[in-house]
Amino acid sequence: MPEASAPLFRRAVIALSGGTVDDAVVRLALEFARHAHSELVAVHVVELDWTQPLDADVAERSEEAQRVLDAAEAIAETLHGKLESVLVQARDVGAAIVDEAAAREADLLILGLPYRTRFGGEFAIGRAVPYALKNAPCAVWVVREKMGEESQ
Amino acid sequence: MTAPRPPLHGRKLGDRRVVVDRPHSAYFRYAGPGTMIAKAAASAPTTAIGRRVARVRAIVFGKPLSNAEEIGERLSKKLALPIFSSDAISSSAYATDEILRVLVLAGLAWMTWSIWVAAAIALMLTIVAFSYRQVCRGYPSGGGAYVVARENLGPNFGLIAAAALMVDYVMTVAVSSASALANLATAFEVIAPYKVELGALVIILVTAANLRGVRESGNIFAIPTYLFVGMALLAIAVGLVNTATGAAHHLSPPAFAEQPGTQVFTLLLLLKAFAGGSVALTGVEAIANGVPAFKPPEAKNAANTLIIMALLLGSIFIGLTFVGLQYGVMATTAQGPTVLGQVGSAVFGGGVLFILLQISAALILFLACNTSFNAFPRLAAILAQDDCMPRQFAFRGDRLAFSWGIVVLAAVAIAMLYAFNASVDALIPLYSVGVFICFTLSQAGMVVHWRKERSSGWAWRSLVNGFGAVLTGVVFLVVASEKFFNGAWMVLIFIPALIAMMMFIRHQYAASARQLEMKPGAAVPQPHRHNRVVIPISGVNRAVIQALNVARSITTDIRAVYVSEDPKKSDDVRERWAGAVPDVPLVVVESPYRAVIAPLVAYLDVLDRSWPAEREEPITFVLIPEYVARSWWERMLYNQAAKQMRTTLLGRPHTVVINVPYRRDEARAAAVAAQVEPAGTLVAADNGRGH
Repeated sequence: MPEASAPLFRRAVIALSGGTVDDAVVRLALEFARHAHSELVAVHVVELDWTQPLDADVAERSEEAQRVLDAAEAIAETLHGKLESVLVQARDVGAAIVDEAAAREADLLILGLPYRTRFGGEFAIGRAVPYALKNAPCAVWVVREKMGEESQ
Repeated sequence: MTAPRPPLHGRKLGDRRVVVDRPHSAYFRYAGPGTMIAKAAASAPTTAIGRRVARVRAIVFGKPLSNAEEIGERLSKKLALPIFSSDAISSSAYATDEILRVLVLAGLAWMTWSIWVAAAIALMLTIVAFSYRQVCRGYPSGGGAYVVARENLGPNFGLIAAAALMVDYVMTVAVSSASALANLATAFEVIAPYKVELGALVIILVTAANLRGVRESGNIFAIPTYLFVGMALLAIAVGLVNTATGAAHHLSPPAFAEQPGTQVFTLLLLLKAFAGGSVALTGVEAIANGVPAFKPPEAKNAANTLIIMALLLGSIFIGLTFVGLQYGVMATTAQGPTVLGQVGSAVFGGGVLFILLQISAALILFLACNTSFNAFPRLAAILAQDDCMPRQFAFRGDRLAFSWGIVVLAAVAIAMLYAFNASVDALIPLYSVGVFICFTLSQAGMVVHWRKERSSGWAWRSLVNGFGAVLTGVVFLVVASEKFFNGAWMVLIFIPALIAMMMFIRHQYAASARQLEMKPGAAVPQPHRHNRVVIPISGVNRAVIQALNVARSITTDIRAVYVSEDPKKSDDVRERWAGAVPDVPLVVVESPYRAVIAPLVAYLDVLDRSWPAEREEPITFVLIPEYVARSWWERMLYNQAAKQMRTTLLGRPHTVVINVPYRRDEARAAAVAAQVEPAGTLVAADNGRGH
C-alpha cells in the first residue's frame, strides 16, 4: 500500500490533440502536479501519412501545431506551474504518445477524449486512447469531456 | 526546419517519431493565426551590461510585470483609500488652523464662528464629493475634471482643468516634502541647512516606491494613513466624551499664539476664513482621476471609496474644529503647536497616544505627496492619449506604472524645492490655487452633463452642481486674490503656459497625423519609382562588400562614392575596386578642403539635378557600411563619420538611409568576402539577437 504522502506521479505526459478538452486536461494535470511537485510534459503529435517523409518540414512550420502547445504553456504560466512542451511528427498518434511517455520514463499518461459520435449515434473513442490503454507501460488517465447537449 | 533530427525508434518495430524543434517558444507564443505574443525573454537585454542593469532595476523597482498581470495590480478599496486620499485626509490636520488664523483677526469672540465655517466647508465637500462620485460613474476611464470639462464644456476648458490640476499636483509634492522637513528641522536643527537636499532625497525615495507599481507603493504607504485616521478619530472621540461629561476645559493660550486682532468682522473676513479652510478639499479629485486603477467594478469601487474618504475627511475636520472649540484652542504662528497638536495634548494629556498622534500627523503630511504621484501620471497619460502631452507619458513602465509621469513630476517638484530653497512660506501661496479652478470647471461641466442627459432628478442635480460651481468659483477668486502678490501670480502664469504647451503639442500631432493619413479603403499601388543606390565607401573592405550585396538586392543602378583628400590613395582604391567589383561604377570625389559629408551631399544633389525633368524623381538609397564594434570603447573609434552622414541625410527628400552592419565575429565573414552572402541574412543579423 503506498504511503499517504507519496505523490500520485513524479512525471506525467499529457497528450494534447488541439481540441476543446485540452484546456481541462492541462488544468487538471497542473492541479495534481502542483501538490506533488511533479514534472509535466505536454506532447502534441502531428500525424504524417506515407506520402511525406517522417522528417518533412511540417510541424515546425504549422502555426496550428505550435499553438496547441503554446496554449498549454500559457495555462501553466497563468497557474504558476511548469510544463515542458514537445512537438512530435509520427505516423501514428497513439504509438508516438506511448513511446514518448516510455522514453521519458513517465509514470502517468493523461489523455483527453472529446465526446464524439459516429453517424449511427454510437460513441466514437478513436484509435489513440485504446492504443494507449492497451500499450502504455505507465498508468493512464483518460479525461472525457462532458456530453454536448444534443448527445444527452 | 532548423536542424534535421534523427528519427527515434518506438517500442514496437516500425514505430518511429521525430521530435520537432520549437525555436520560437523561448521568445514567443502563438496566440492566433498570424499573431504572436512576446514572452519576457523577448524583452530581456542581450548584452552583458544590459543584463546587469536589468538585475539592478529588478532589485530596486521589482521584476517587470506583463500586461496580463495588470488586473493583479488593481487596487482594492482598502488599499486605494490611503493611496488616493493621503493628500485630502492630511489637509484635515491643518485646515482648522487656517480658519482660526483669519477669524482671530476679528478678536477671540469670533473664534466660535469656526464651527460654522467648517460646516459650510463640509457642505461644499459634500457637494464636490457627490459630484466627483457621479464623475467616477459617468467617466470610468478616469481623468476627473479634465474629462468632464472636455466632454461638456469643450476641449480648451478641459486643458484649463488639466493644467490647473497638474500645477497643483507638483505643488503638493513640493509643499508636503518641504513642510515635513520643516517640521523635522524644528525637532532636529542639524538638518536645517540640508533641507533642500533632504527634500530632494525624500522625493526620490517616494518616486522609487511609486516606480515599483501602484499596489506595492500602496502597501508601503497605507499604514501611516490608517494610523493617522485612527488616532485623529480617537482624539475626537475622547474629546467628545470629555465634552459630554463636562471634563473639557479651556486651555491656557499656547506658545506662539496669534494675537487677537481688532478688525471688524465682515463678510469678506468670513469669506477669507472659508477660503482658508477650503484647503481641506485639496486632493478630493484624485480618485476620479484614477478610476481605472480600481478592481472591478472600477466605477462603483472608486465612487464608494470617494464617499468613504469624504466621510473620513469631513468627520476629522468638523470633529477637530468642534473639539478644539470646546478646549478653546488658538491659532498659532508657524513655530507654535497646531490645532491637532493642542487637541491631542488636551485629550491624551501628552502621553504615548499624543506622541503617536503627532508622529502619524507628520507621516501623513509627508505622504500627502503620494496622492500626486498616483494622480499626476494618470492625468498625464490621459492627456497623452488625447495628444495633448508627449505620447511617452501614456507608456507604462516595467511595473505597469506610468513611469514618465512619475519621473517628470519628481523632477519638477525637486526643481521647485531648489528654486524656493524648500521654504514652506514661499511655496504655500502657490499651493491650492489650481485645484479650485478644476473644481469649478468640473462642477460647471456636470451642470451641462445633467442638462444634456435629462435623466431623472437632472434638475436638482444640476442645481446642486451649479451651486457648487459658484461656491468653488468664489473660493478660487478669494484664494487667488489673497495669495496673488505672495506668489500665486506665478501659478496664474504657469497654467496658461502649460495650456499653450499642450495646445502646441496637440497641433503638432494633428499636423503629423494629417500628413501620415491614408484614405480609408484606398488600395496601395505597386511602387513604380526608379530606385538607385549610392554606397559611400572608405576603401575596399568586407563591410563595403556586405553593403554592396544588400544594394544588389534592391536595384541594379548602383554606384560607390569615394570621397578622398589624397589623390594617391584614390588611385589605389580605384584600382582595388576595379579588381574586386568591376561591374559597379566607382565615383571618386576629390575633396581638397578635406570635407567628407558635404561633398557627398553635393554629389547626391548633382545626381538629382541630372535626372530627366520629365521623369518622376527616383528614390536614392544611401547604404552606409558600418563596422559593428563589440565594446563601448571600440564604438568611440569607429563609425563617427557614418553617424554624421546618417544625421545629415535623414531629412533629405527622396532619400532612404540604410545602415548595413558588419560584425567582425560573423562566422560567415569569408562567405561575405566571396560575395555569396544572401542579402536577407544581413537584415536578420541586425535584430541584435544573433540566433
